[in-house]
Amino acid sequence: MDVKVDQTLDCRGLSCPMPILKMAKAIKDMSSGEVLEILGTDPGSKTDIPGWCEKTGNEFLGLEDLGDHSKFYIKKA
Amino acid sequence: MSEKKNRAWRQLWNTFFGKSWPMWVGGLILATLNICLFLVKSPWGGSGTYINWGENLYQAIGIFGLKNIAPVHHNLYGLLGTMTLLGALLGALLSREFALRIPPAGEMLKGFIGGIFMALGCTLGIGCTVGGFLSGIPALNAGAIFIGLGFIIGAWLALRYLLWEMEKLPKMSSGKSLTILAAKGKGGIWQPMLGVIIFAFLLIGASRLFKNDNVLTWFAIIGLFLGLVCQRSRFCVTRSFREPFMTGESEAPVAIMLTLLVTLFGFTVIKYMGVGASTPGAARVLALTWVYPHFWLKALIGGIIFGIGMVIAGGCAVGTLWRIGEGQIKLWFAGLGFILMAPISKKFIVPGFSHLLPEWAQKTVFLPDVFKYWGTVLLLLVIILLWYLFVKWNERTGKFSAI
Repeated sequence: MDVKVDQTLDCRGLSCPMPILKMAKAIKDMSSGEVLEILGTDPGSKTDIPGWCEKTGNEFLGLEDLGDHSKFYIKKA
Repeated sequence: MSEKKNRAWRQLWNTFFGKSWPMWVGGLILATLNICLFLVKSPWGGSGTYINWGENLYQAIGIFGLKNIAPVHHNLYGLLGTMTLLGALLGALLSREFALRIPPAGEMLKGFIGGIFMALGCTLGIGCTVGGFLSGIPALNAGAIFIGLGFIIGAWLALRYLLWEMEKLPKMSSGKSLTILAAKGKGGIWQPMLGVIIFAFLLIGASRLFKNDNVLTWFAIIGLFLGLVCQRSRFCVTRSFREPFMTGESEAPVAIMLTLLVTLFGFTVIKYMGVGASTPGAARVLALTWVYPHFWLKALIGGIIFGIGMVIAGGCAVGTLWRIGEGQIKLWFAGLGFILMAPISKKFIVPGFSHLLPEWAQKTVFLPDVFKYWGTVLLLLVIILLWYLFVKWNERTGKFSAI
């Protein structure tokens, strides 16, 4: 995905709820407009992360499925 | 024409295995399957599986003096849970979501400890999130209300711990992880192919193994579909208790409420009508199915301990089963802790605990005996409505949500 990433969070191997908890903490510490890249392997994240973004107003830019893990991109509101 | 036909088949396949189903869709199917289980013999439960597996394990090793334990394929809940696990494996393979996901060591430890807590909670309080609550409320069992309250308290406590852990012990959830056997690109076609082979093998195996026992046959078949539906809809009771305190989202709690409503309708009809009972005595036995001596403190204490365990482990008894099938190694450790602890708790801790508690703390209360059937259903509907209003209000205001 062609976006400038400001911070990467590695959640590979983690299962629910750790990816969401870690992501929320990381976003909290970032500035508005910055992009967070999350690496994850939990299939649930594919619906949990966009759902959390919709609820909190942060922008979900998309995900890349690489087979053994996925990359999620979020722009902080 | 052939291309159009292929597209139609692909669309049908993708409907089931392309992406996850909404949790409420899974909930409605699971409620129907639960009613079917009750019609066959008795409602859905998760913890009995681990107890049976654990007792078989200790009997095989020859410790704790366990004898005459029913083998897994002859124990209703040992079999049901085994088939649920296999059904989830099937769902994960068919949707190319299977992979062995090995987390950092700290997460595996948390899984194991969470499993131990769940084993203690379900044996002390008599019931897990599914047997104690999702089947317990529709069974019109007063203790189920308190087991649910216990889950809320336990989930809140464990979430506080996880937030604290992220700040003070970040290494618990970070470090080396590994994912193997994931489906990558076109090469991942082996997963659905293996899934089809396993499905055929399970159907043939079940029909041969249980050809003389209809109840076991139905438990095997329904168990398989329970696992498949749980995995495809990511049906998570833990999430429904945890999420109001975490993100505040209401999707999971509302899905559980819908599941409860449908199950409540079915179970009430079965109990009220005495379906399948030929004498008044048999009808009374049927009415008291899934009503346990744990009202109210016993259920509450068990619920709190179980609630802590399920949030730390990341899945309840059934949630652990389907995630084991999906290849999540943290939940393999949760299952291990559950299996090892459940028989020990049942044999050595529960008798003392029950002896310690006064009689008023562990009563058997069948709600229709107190409020009649119509009053009971009304009471439960009001409780579910209040729960709905709370989660929706909390979703809007975020008053109780941590993130």
